[in-house]
Amino acid sequence: MVLAMLGRNAEPAEPDEVQTYSWNLPKGFPKPHVPADNPMTAAKIELGRYLFYDTRMSVNRKASCATCHQQEFAFTDSRAASIGATGQPHSRSAMSLVNVAYSAALTWSNPRMKKLEDQVLAPMFGDHPVELGLREGDGFLPMLHSDPKYQLLFERAFPGDADPFTVKKVAKALAAFERSIISARSPYDRYHYGGDDSAVSDSAKRGEILFFNQHLSCFRCHGGFNFSDATVSENNAGREIEFHNTGLYKIAGMLSYPAPNVGTYEYTRIAADVGKFKAPTLRNIAITAPYMHDGSIATLEGVVDHYAAGGRTIESGPNAGIGHDNPNKDPLIAGFQLSRQDRADLIAFLESLTDEEVCHDPRFANPW
Amino acid sequence: MPRTTLVSRIFLLTCLCAALMYGQASQPQTPPATLTVSGDIPSQLVLKAEDLSKMPRETVSIPEQDGTKIEYEGVPLREILKRAGAPMDKELRGKALASYILAKARDGYQVVFTLAEVAPEFANEPILVVDKRDGKPLFGYQGPFRVVCPNDKAGARSVRMLETLEIVRLQK
Repeated sequence: MVLAMLGRNAEPAEPDEVQTYSWNLPKGFPKPHVPADNPMTAAKIELGRYLFYDTRMSVNRKASCATCHQQEFAFTDSRAASIGATGQPHSRSAMSLVNVAYSAALTWSNPRMKKLEDQVLAPMFGDHPVELGLREGDGFLPMLHSDPKYQLLFERAFPGDADPFTVKKVAKALAAFERSIISARSPYDRYHYGGDDSAVSDSAKRGEILFFNQHLSCFRCHGGFNFSDATVSENNAGREIEFHNTGLYKIAGMLSYPAPNVGTYEYTRIAADVGKFKAPTLRNIAITAPYMHDGSIATLEGVVDHYAAGGRTIESGPNAGIGHDNPNKDPLIAGFQLSRQDRADLIAFLESLTDEEVCHDPRFANPW
Repeated sequence: MPRTTLVSRIFLLTCLCAALMYGQASQPQTPPATLTVSGDIPSQLVLKAEDLSKMPRETVSIPEQDGTKIEYEGVPLREILKRAGAPMDKELRGKALASYILAKARDGYQVVFTLAEVAPEFANEPILVVDKRDGKPLFGYQGPFRVVCPNDKAGARSVRMLETLEIVRLQK
């Protein structure tokens, strides 16, 4: 009876089991950092999953976290710019939530946003733009409180808590669920960590060598097991987070990037920070098009060409300019030459990072 | 043999040779599994994987981000330099201390080690040229040879795809 209340995808679990969590990480993957005040438990993750997919968690019951973070697209939405519950477009592209547990900085450009428990509040309550459009007084907490399913889920997630129906607890559960979305079973992982020589094509193997080649230097920003330079784990606080201007724009005027996407400058007000964005994980990159912070490059081929050119040139229109000459451009974006075969190999390597399991794993799927 | 048959056989042979030559040229360039030691030494030394397997070997455990340890196996750099005739042991003093090793990778990446860093009289732990990781030959962008510096905090001098060690003596 109790189990039936947890929904069709809930696994039977003993009470003690739901108060613990086992990461079951494959070789090469460290244990993620988890805040001391929000330990991972199976019960909390399960509550977070229900909240993540619940459209009642929006102002008009039309959207949920999963609207912009869809499992089939590695928890992105395949749009250049996400659209909130009320139809208001976001200025940036939804980031993948895969391996977000390892992210030293969340969002594209805010160097201060480091904790998922804080970040989840932005889409819930933010109004620049409206994403889920919630307000604390709107009644979503009473809705959760009155729902028998949530009563049980909250009780198990926060046992002994006299008042678990708070925004803080909702944020903790959502954060726990998002941390649990680990992608580590791509063909590349089977090849590189598992020693399965047949897991990737010869083209992908050549592409891997190109990726780690000094002339391309892709790995300098997209390095390590998570292919990002903003990675932390339980025993590794990581180095200072770097954000990068890749020469995507150089428009006329004081700010060389089109507003409101001006990079970390938005938060630091330092001119040298204009156009600097996070180097996100490249895991599952082949299924998270369109690319860059604003989704302004449609294909992986386009992204490779952008880096090969050492910046993007836009011939006309409001964003016209030679990105190659952006004064804030990272010196690593110097451009390189690739043969047609090299380009295909590099893309084959990037495609080998696609983890089909994470896109179909029932533990991360819609429980409703 | 009729003339037409001879001509057609010559033609076929020519085509076959051309095909073989073209086939050879279109094969992907496999990097040579050799390590070259050059520079201010009596003569250039070229080592194959087989040569390295017969030299004194050591293993070192390097912690990975996941908390596990990777075991690298290879030849201490000092042994390679000794074989190449670089000043080591009692010769490593005075002007010889103004010498360095330029380690070059297949992709052009280069780092420098001083000769003293390699010698046990100065260094606490040997720098290795490794060819095995957890008992298996290095492959892909890691190999076939790479440097491992157990005492370095950062990994940037652990040159992957190592091809050349150039000895430079600033004072002779």
